[in-house]
Amino acid sequence: MSKKRKLMKVYPIEENCISCRYCEVACTMVHSETQDPVKAYKLEGLLPRATVEVKGAVSLSLMCRHCKHPFCLDACISGAITQDEDGRVRLDEDKCVGCWGCVLVCPFGAAHPHVERKHSFKCDICEDRGFPACVEACPNRALIYDFER
Amino acid sequence: MRYVIIGNSAAAVGCITGIRKVDKENEIVVISYEDRCYSKPMIADVLIDYPDEKLLYRDKDFFEKNNVTQILGHKAIKINPESKVVILDSNEMVPYDKLLISTGGVPFVPPIPGREKEGVFTFTELGSAKKFKKYIEENGVEKVVVIGSGFIGLEVAYYLREIGKEVIVVELLHRVLGKALDKRGSEIVETMLREKGVQFIFNNTVEEILGEEKVSSVKLKSGEVLKTEAVVIAIGVRPNVELAETARIEVNRGIVTDNHLRTNVPDIYAAGDCIECIDITDGTRKNLPLFPLAFEQGLIAGLNMAGKEITYLGGLPLNSLKFLEKPVLNAGIVEPPDSTYEVLVNDKFEKRGYYRKAILKDGKLVGFVAIGEIDRVGILTNVIRQKIDVSNIKERLVSLDFGLVDLPEEWRKEKLKEDKTAYKDWRPVG
Repeated sequence: MSKKRKLMKVYPIEENCISCRYCEVACTMVHSETQDPVKAYKLEGLLPRATVEVKGAVSLSLMCRHCKHPFCLDACISGAITQDEDGRVRLDEDKCVGCWGCVLVCPFGAAHPHVERKHSFKCDICEDRGFPACVEACPNRALIYDFER
Repeated sequence: MRYVIIGNSAAAVGCITGIRKVDKENEIVVISYEDRCYSKPMIADVLIDYPDEKLLYRDKDFFEKNNVTQILGHKAIKINPESKVVILDSNEMVPYDKLLISTGGVPFVPPIPGREKEGVFTFTELGSAKKFKKYIEENGVEKVVVIGSGFIGLEVAYYLREIGKEVIVVELLHRVLGKALDKRGSEIVETMLREKGVQFIFNNTVEEILGEEKVSSVKLKSGEVLKTEAVVIAIGVRPNVELAETARIEVNRGIVTDNHLRTNVPDIYAAGDCIECIDITDGTRKNLPLFPLAFEQGLIAGLNMAGKEITYLGGLPLNSLKFLEKPVLNAGIVEPPDSTYEVLVNDKFEKRGYYRKAILKDGKLVGFVAIGEIDRVGILTNVIRQKIDVSNIKERLVSLDFGLVDLPEEWRKEKLKEDKTAYKDWRPVG
């Protein structure tokens, strides 16, 4: 178990974050049908999977850490959350029933509730895209895509 | 080496997951008298005709991929620890090297006269939920009395309203979810359910179920008689320890296990709703029949069964109401037991539709309630779990934008930069 997994994920660097929220916008956009940031939010009702937190001078962008011990997997009653061999934690939004168990236990607040649609959602490391959009959009290298530590 | 798991729900799946993290080779056998691995907390959904396949918690593919043999439709009736076999109701003998008992809970049915009549149901398995649904349809049931206002009772009541039935919930205490939620939380939940059309009778209970063969009315303790065509008993669940007792396994408030989830009988482990476990908020041992805990215990038991020594920390009581329009979540202690606890409240339910409450003791968070706005409350759950000192950020705990920036920088460095997210990394800080 202590063997290193071959998984790449997004790492925030809080020293570099300027809380511009480009990551949030890019995330919402690439997960939309229209591929348009305004329409994604206004028409499709999509929400960002990355969250920018700000407190005084400190800010950072946060998304699913694909934990080695994912509490969300324990709590998922529908079977929507699974963990791959390589450690990636998946959330199947169609299978999710909105029990909010993952929201209740995620230590990073990275599993979000979409209350109107009755399902949770979280970072999928831009699986369909190949490279995380938030990292691409970040103007100050406050997000990097790297192998798991 | 052969692993045998009795039961086929959260703890069993957790156990398979745990074993396969360590041992990819040896045989795993799952025994269950039910016919599939479905999600127990979702059975009330059959009332609104939720598709059967969606109730499936793990499909065939999961068992095939993990190389698990399922023996379904047969009940394990005895364990013989001397010869290390499980005896099924078909008289088949299933030998084991390591055994997990995850037999779950059984509904508690008090000795109410008339409880054997047609039209009286409990609600902890898919089979009984379906029988209830069928009974409603075949008998044209329009009116139902639900005894108990716990999670199951309220969910059944809600879905019965959803399909247009008249529902009266009879509760012994003076409020709903009396054991799980705080007073204000109960009040909010009750209001939401009343708006849905659910009726409540508090400080009262059903003394007798009346009718010929079928239920026709119930007599309350207060003397009142309510006409009804069906009764759902949802007072609570008790650990199912019957099988464990056949192997002379020690039982207290559930099967007794050590911190590796081993019972007192060699090579027999136990996990899930059938065990007694440590509540990490107060250190007491109790039965905590909760889904996430069952999975976690199963996982830890599985790792230990496969030879990876790992200690179980104990469980944190957690609840989520999934059926209401507004989510209701809580963790840990929700009502301060005495004046040594500090309570912080942010109640904007009437105006903005949310309610937050935090309970602290000695500068540490020990519980919270979140209704309406629930995004990122898991951070609070972890603050409880890791016993992080929050005495200087108390007010932030009930704020909607509480986040990791409020936690010590050291914590963020460890969890984010160093990626410390393995099971042992979630133990209390310091």
